[in-house]
Amino acid sequence: MTNSRTKRYFIGSICMLLLLSLFMGMTLTLSSGEVYAENESKKTFTVGFDASFPPYGYRDENGEYVGFDLDLAEEVCTRKGWTLKKQPIDWDSKDMELDSGAIDCIWNGFTINGRENDYTWSEPYVDNSQVVIVKADSKIKSLSDLKGKTVVVQADSSALAAFTGDDATEENKSLAKSFKELQQVSDYNSAFLNLESGMVDAICMDIGVASYQVKQRGEKYIILSEEVSSEQYGVGFKLGNTALRDEVMEVLYAMKADGKFDEIAKKWELETAVCLKAAAPKETTADESQPEKTAPAQSATHMSVGQIALDLLGGMGATLLIFCLTLIFALPLGLILTFIRMTKIKVIQLLAKFYISVMRGTPLMLQLLVVCYGPHYVFGLNTDSSFRFYAVIIGFSLNYAAYFAEIFRAGIQAVPIGQREAASVLGYSRGQTFRKIVFPQMVKNILPPMTNEVITLVKDTSLAFALAYTEVFTLAKQIAAAEANIMPLFVAGVFYYVFNLLVAFIMGRIEKKLNYYH
Amino acid sequence: MKVLEIKNLKKDFGEKTVLEDISLTVNKGEVISVIGPSGSGKSTLLRCATFLEKATDGSIAYCEKEVVKSEGGRAIYPSKAEMKAARSKFGLVFQSFNLFPHFNVLKNVTDAPISVMKRDREQVMTEAREMLKRVGLEDKENAYPCELSGGQQQRVAIARALVMNPEIIFFDEPTSALDPEITAGILKIMKELAEADMTMVIVTHEIDFARAVSDRVIFMADGHIIEQGSPKDIIDNSDNERTRAFLRKL
Ligand SMILES: Nc1ncnc2c1ncn2[C@@H]1O[C@H](COP(=O)(O)OP(=O)(O)O)[C@@H](O)[C@H]1O
Ligand SMILES: [Mg+2]
Repeated sequence: MTNSRTKRYFIGSICMLLLLSLFMGMTLTLSSGEVYAENESKKTFTVGFDASFPPYGYRDENGEYVGFDLDLAEEVCTRKGWTLKKQPIDWDSKDMELDSGAIDCIWNGFTINGRENDYTWSEPYVDNSQVVIVKADSKIKSLSDLKGKTVVVQADSSALAAFTGDDATEENKSLAKSFKELQQVSDYNSAFLNLESGMVDAICMDIGVASYQVKQRGEKYIILSEEVSSEQYGVGFKLGNTALRDEVMEVLYAMKADGKFDEIAKKWELETAVCLKAAAPKETTADESQPEKTAPAQSATHMSVGQIALDLLGGMGATLLIFCLTLIFALPLGLILTFIRMTKIKVIQLLAKFYISVMRGTPLMLQLLVVCYGPHYVFGLNTDSSFRFYAVIIGFSLNYAAYFAEIFRAGIQAVPIGQREAASVLGYSRGQTFRKIVFPQMVKNILPPMTNEVITLVKDTSLAFALAYTEVFTLAKQIAAAEANIMPLFVAGVFYYVFNLLVAFIMGRIEKKLNYYH
Repeated sequence: MKVLEIKNLKKDFGEKTVLEDISLTVNKGEVISVIGPSGSGKSTLLRCATFLEKATDGSIAYCEKEVVKSEGGRAIYPSKAEMKAARSKFGLVFQSFNLFPHFNVLKNVTDAPISVMKRDREQVMTEAREMLKRVGLEDKENAYPCELSGGQQQRVAIARALVMNPEIIFFDEPTSALDPEITAGILKIMKELAEADMTMVIVTHEIDFARAVSDRVIFMADGHIIEQGSPKDIIDNSDNERTRAFLRKL
């Protein structure tokens, strides 16, 4: 009796979690505007951007993806009659995204210099210099004062390239050598945290971003007037895709001609940075005046914790969804893998062993990338951006199945052989023996290691950021970057902690229920 | 009727031959004790008879129906269905009880008849309670094995075997894991079974018990049946040197 009650309790809690996460996942889908356009015949123009790169593309306090570049893209789409899809991507995977056709272009304060031959470029539209930010009360007044100091840049950024890239000037290279250290961080929020806390003395970054960040963060920081380098931004298309590039350029020129381009630049306070020249005269389509967009709230007021938590709700749902779906697929998959691993046929057994050792012996993040981009690179399939969600679930399930399989195997082997012998003599079939005798005892045996593994899964869900799937951690990073505030990361941490408390509680209850026998 | 007939049984573990040329016939109602030094192959014999080990060669028949055949020097096993039918003929009581720890006493006794033999649930319940009464555990049906003493667990194991209505029950040292005071209770139950004409093959070191209940005693050593006969002939008046040496040491 107790047994069946436990089962019901267990199944009940799983169902509840699933429902909850489905609901919250839906909230996310709706709020991030990723629902497909009703009109499917419309061409979709998918813009890839790093969602934490204000003012070019980022997530605002209402959870919308906004920015100068996205406004430009929006306007281009409006004029072309396309549907704009804003696709936040992981910056490190931008080439895979573009090559696999998941995005049509990278439009995101994308530096041309040094990448001239890697993409098919639009005309440069922003002239961007690399500048240095220091604390307002710093003694550093010029570039030469940076000697012996610690400077931080974003990984794979133009600032980094300006110091150490192949095309860096000798001057900048020797300047970089004079630093005590040139550090790299993954986003500007961390850079400012480092500067604020005194861990670094200066940040080097694009001027547009620098002006925005300094303005957002108040009087605490200043930009050195001496520039490190000058460079230009363009829209990057897949190499050879001149057709799409030309279509977009044509509209951009038209926007420049009728003033819309400068209007958008002004809205984002980039009027000093933009550099798009007027095209050679060409007939432009008369455009209807667009309804004025209200300027984004540029105030430096901080969001309340409740507001942040509410904003993170969609991400929490996404995390829960990854968690539940992974369990739902990985548990049975793991059991099947255990059976394969335990067959008497050596070759098959070896295959399972190999699979498990690969899954356990390589980073989960790498596996996620392989699942997501492998279909394109290996089989030449064109995967659209909705595939990234499936890739996350497939990647997690395949990985966790391997871990679960080993736990199951240990749990099965811990059931005394006499149990199977007694069942055999009583006439139980092999299936019955497993179902009625071995499996229930295995469940009891594996609860402690299973609890550990499930808790690890809760935390591992954050690795979905590698595929730019917006779960709670990615969302928190985006909000943190946009708000110049670390509170969202803290709230996300609390969420993980509470989630794990709940997992530990449920597992503890199940363990207790199964304590009626030894 | 011959309930069990084993002919020329041979069992190898790898290179090592553990049983050789074992032939044994058990008639209905007979009680047979198997004695012999440890390592002589007594358990292996019972395990081959109950299909827990596959014989290397030889034949095994239950109720005059051949199940395992000897062909070309190898033992040939039949289909799953035939094996299942043959399994319904025997029961086995282990030295280590092997009750199912996650089932309570009643379920331990009733689950196999209900889910394997598909017998009527209510009837099985009634019979099971009768059996539990017979082994003196009528008030323990809701207890779990971990709440029972070793002696009580072995009684449940005996009840579990009995409810299956086997033609023959094998016992592999059923009291070796028990304290001497508790042993007596189990032996008493087995004696009652013998008196009720249950066919039994008992591997045991309890010589007095073997003498009292057995129709026939088999002495094994080194994987061979050395001799067999009435308790009197084997236990008290054997002229075989190995048998006498074994009995002297007990
Ligand atoms: N699974 C096995 N693998 C290898 N050798 C075994 C196995 N089971 C039993 N034996 C060997 O077979 C011989 C007989 O063992 P067993 O039948 O348990 O003897 P007994 O029950 O008479 O003490 C022993 O030498 C034992 O080591
Ligand atoms: Mg033995």
